[in-house]
Amino acid sequence: MIWEPLKLSLLVVTVATAIIATLGLALGLLLAKGRFPGQELLASFFTLPLVLPPTVSGYYLIVLLGRHGIIGEPVYNLTGWTVAFTWQAAVIAAIVLALPLMVLSARAAIESVNPQFEIASYTLGKSWLATFFLITLPLARRGILAGIVLSFTRALGEFGATFMLAGNIPGKTQTMPLAIYEAVISGEDKRAQILALILTGVSIAAVYFTTKLTKGTIRY
Amino acid sequence: MLQVAIKKRLESDKSGSFALDITFRAEEGITILFGQSGSGKTTTLRAIAGIVTPDSGRITVGEEIYFDSETGANLSIQKRRVGYVFQDYALFPHMTAEQNVAYGIKDNSAAVASRMDRARALLTLFKIGHVRQRYPQNMSGGEQQRTALARALASDPALVLLDEPLSAVDAETRTQLLDEVVAAQERVGIPFIYVTHNTVEAVRLGSHVVVLHEGTVKQVGGPAEVFNTFANER
Repeated sequence: MIWEPLKLSLLVVTVATAIIATLGLALGLLLAKGRFPGQELLASFFTLPLVLPPTVSGYYLIVLLGRHGIIGEPVYNLTGWTVAFTWQAAVIAAIVLALPLMVLSARAAIESVNPQFEIASYTLGKSWLATFFLITLPLARRGILAGIVLSFTRALGEFGATFMLAGNIPGKTQTMPLAIYEAVISGEDKRAQILALILTGVSIAAVYFTTKLTKGTIRY
Repeated sequence: MLQVAIKKRLESDKSGSFALDITFRAEEGITILFGQSGSGKTTTLRAIAGIVTPDSGRITVGEEIYFDSETGANLSIQKRRVGYVFQDYALFPHMTAEQNVAYGIKDNSAAVASRMDRARALLTLFKIGHVRQRYPQNMSGGEQQRTALARALASDPALVLLDEPLSAVDAETRTQLLDEVVAAQERVGIPFIYVTHNTVEAVRLGSHVVVLHEGTVKQVGGPAEVFNTFANER
């Protein structure tokens, strides 16, 4: 019974982290290097879930993706399927809530790379894309990895928005934080304790790993 | 041969706006761009390399047009065959000396092994074969400077731009490196444009000195005549 929420959390968090890492890196790059109108507005938009109460983000997700939502309703009418109360809904909630951490970290990491190195790479005939992968990304890797770890832990702990969009269905959408909540309100102290200890262990490991990454001795 | 005739307005925080209006030509050999800081030396180099775009004018290297505001021609940085030695060298900190030099070798068809061989040969030529596996942060200023020069030459440039490359090394290393810059130029036989505000470097290197002052060319000539008038004016 303990394995079910653990397995589900691992599935949700793995899929969410993979999407967050890719999307967050692309958005971080766009915000770090792009010069376009509305840039800071876009940055604020992607930071919003960090400061909004998770239930508010969850509410907006329902308004958008629920069975009668702005996107959800036409999709339901077309396919007879709705994302609400599926494990994919837990993935979406985790992505929306944890993405800001990745975008902020990736942007800061890319901006911290001295542009002189990129210019030097251009003078050596390397394209913009080659320069990004061979110079910028390796030099920004600590901050980017830290962002991945941070958003991984944030996704793992996601509760409010998940509860609202995905519900609390054991074996289907009941992730670790929801299982802890359920165990506590139904008086299963032992179960709550074990689940809480597992999440604490993973979080401590993540914080330790992030500190090691960001406090490295080699500074660029 | 390099020919430059460019104009550019620059907005600077410190001195308000500032107009650059530079015309000069550089034959084979070492041309010194001489001037105090704020005279427009570095901006001129950056315009030749394509890092900044002039408002108007023309830049040509041999038959090749790098920039021409009349026809709208403006080659990208990558397509200009320019080797650039930056003031702080800009060696990639996550690459060893030989990886830095091999990065500059443009021949993409060459196998990785043969590029590394060529990089090592270049480092040996600059007498720093022994530091090939070191990272820039573990190299002396002189070794970094030599690596930066080797990297700039690895890209098979038509022109080499050096932006105060010896400002960060001690006097003794500076004397040695000046000789090596001369030797390197004689070996490759392409124009070197060397930016400095140091008269000793200018006299030692220059066959041809272009004096810049507040964004315009004030004087052109051999080092002896330029620095004689320069001294008289003071």
